[in-house]
Amino acid sequence: MARGRLSLAMSILQRIQSWAPVPVYPVIGKGGLRAIERLRLDPALTLVSSARHASIMLVCGDIRDGDRPALRQLHDQLPHPRATLWCSSPPLCDAADPVEERGDDATVALRQLDADLRAGTRTTEADWLPDQPPNAWMGKGDHGQGGKGMMGGVPYGRPMAMTDEDLRDGLDLDAMTISVGPFAPMLPPGLSLELVLQGDVIQTARILTSAYQEEMPARETSLWQASRLLELVGLAGLARRCRSVVQMTDVPTDSLYAAARRAGAFFAVPPGLGQIGASDVRTRLREVLSGSPSSMPDSAPLLIDMMRGLEWQEAMLVVASLSPRLLETIAPVTPTGDDRAAVTKKPVPHQNHMGHH
Amino acid sequence: MAIAAVFILLLSGVAFLAVIERVPDRGLRYALLAPLGEAARLFAQQSVTTERPDSANQIIAPVGWFVVAVAGMTVVPFAPGIAVANLDAGVVLWGSCEALTIILVFLHGWSPNSILPLMGGYRFAAIALPAMLLSMFVLIGTTLPAQSLSVTAIVEAQTPLWNVVRQPLGLPLFLLLGLTLGLRGPFDYADSADLATGTSAEISGRARLGWQVARLAMTTAVAAMAATAFLGGYLGPWLPGPIWLAVKTGFVLLLMVVLGRGLARMPAPRMMTMLWTVLLPLSFIDLVIAGLEALP
Repeated sequence: MARGRLSLAMSILQRIQSWAPVPVYPVIGKGGLRAIERLRLDPALTLVSSARHASIMLVCGDIRDGDRPALRQLHDQLPHPRATLWCSSPPLCDAADPVEERGDDATVALRQLDADLRAGTRTTEADWLPDQPPNAWMGKGDHGQGGKGMMGGVPYGRPMAMTDEDLRDGLDLDAMTISVGPFAPMLPPGLSLELVLQGDVIQTARILTSAYQEEMPARETSLWQASRLLELVGLAGLARRCRSVVQMTDVPTDSLYAAARRAGAFFAVPPGLGQIGASDVRTRLREVLSGSPSSMPDSAPLLIDMMRGLEWQEAMLVVASLSPRLLETIAPVTPTGDDRAAVTKKPVPHQNHMGHH
Repeated sequence: MAIAAVFILLLSGVAFLAVIERVPDRGLRYALLAPLGEAARLFAQQSVTTERPDSANQIIAPVGWFVVAVAGMTVVPFAPGIAVANLDAGVVLWGSCEALTIILVFLHGWSPNSILPLMGGYRFAAIALPAMLLSMFVLIGTTLPAQSLSVTAIVEAQTPLWNVVRQPLGLPLFLLLGLTLGLRGPFDYADSADLATGTSAEISGRARLGWQVARLAMTTAVAAMAATAFLGGYLGPWLPGPIWLAVKTGFVLLLMVVLGRGLARMPAPRMMTMLWTVLLPLSFIDLVIAGLEALP
């Protein structure tokens, strides 16, 4: 009797769950951007910004060998029950019983995978990495963490905050080294950065991996770039509108431009931010929204130099405002030992994940 | 009865917000069903924890935020003499709820032991402190005609004319605080897209469900206080007071959703300059207008 009631309750819960779109974390490889951007408009799906919010990880496009450790870490961050769909992307050998989709439209496969997970007909995916610290304890320094006093060092391979001079006023504040990317939603696919932050201000930057390059029509590239910029200034609704006109080549973008102006998108971006010649982020947002030709000069400073001293959101806006072609030129992988990108503490690369159970 | 009214209004506000914020993108049918579906999904999903989190504060933050929203609502009168806590200094209690929100959102960012949530937490604290000053000045403005810090007295003082008319800067400035406390649109510095949802980036399952409910509850509490302090609260013809309060609260919630979707968010340093050099002086002007208007 009790089992029957429980079964009925579970069945009702599953039915109610089906009213919500499937939460998917997109991992965009080379050649996967277009398919993912189209999926963002699909009402049956919601493409989330954190792996913790997803039920399914969608890997779309070719993933570089060097990015595979990051993919494994990301996978293990998804809560159970979870699954992975490989769309035009060869599955990693870690994936048991991988589900692949060869077509352009992954929606049907994603919905089916989600329904199977909820019904329990497909078991949740196990971790791809061992649940233990990524590196050994340093065993050096006053407290054995490898730093000075109670600060700094990279115990278990994780960099700890250490006092360092702030760029703006020279005050000794806590500097923290982090790495972000190559599948972070606020950065172009493939780009990963190592940043030394004080608060939310970037002190130094290094490029760990460069952005994936894709051949696409200029209008498409511009509008997807515009949608990313609009999302970064909190205009998700307008970014959605922007994506919806990408395929409609006969639809002018004047109304988008006007809507962005009314919403204060241009005013929100500080004047002179990411200045390259006469072009700044504000100018570039105008250009990608209105479809006018780029006013960028032929040469530009390196991205790591442009990011120094910027606040986090400003830095993300600068990166999003640069075309993939320009990023290829000004954001090459930073060679080890580059003085401009000297960091106070270098993190040890993570090989494992830990602590999400 | 007042206690039941507080929970009914709060939970209705949560449901109303969950629906109306989804309507513009995907239509009414989707908006009516999706929130329930999402809640059921989160309920059934694993609550992931990060490495060495501050577990106590991870629980305290969402629970505390909901409790603070309820506490803020206790000073809101539903009809003459009907409020859970009809305090002589109700505005002060409301102010303490605003301050506690800043602490709780910071704790939510702090507790996962992860960099993006932490950045969301301290960035929010930096912006919310001056935003809270706005609210204090405009709320003091509403106490001047009432000659009291009691929220019921503020409503009664609006019998001849609502504060939204005699202190026209008050409601817009208070709504900006509402956007801040509800982590919405131009004032969402805690859970924004540039931080991959910031303080929420590391949570899943019931922890995320709790945080979202608390956020919507706080937004509802701010809307109810805005309706009370500037739109005459329960005052109105024909209908009972609680219905008027609910209608006005719903209207303010709608305004907050429209503003949240329709205004761009500046980077924190630019917003900080805007707050200290433009919005705070405007709140002083509001106070001067309120003072002049209250002179005998």
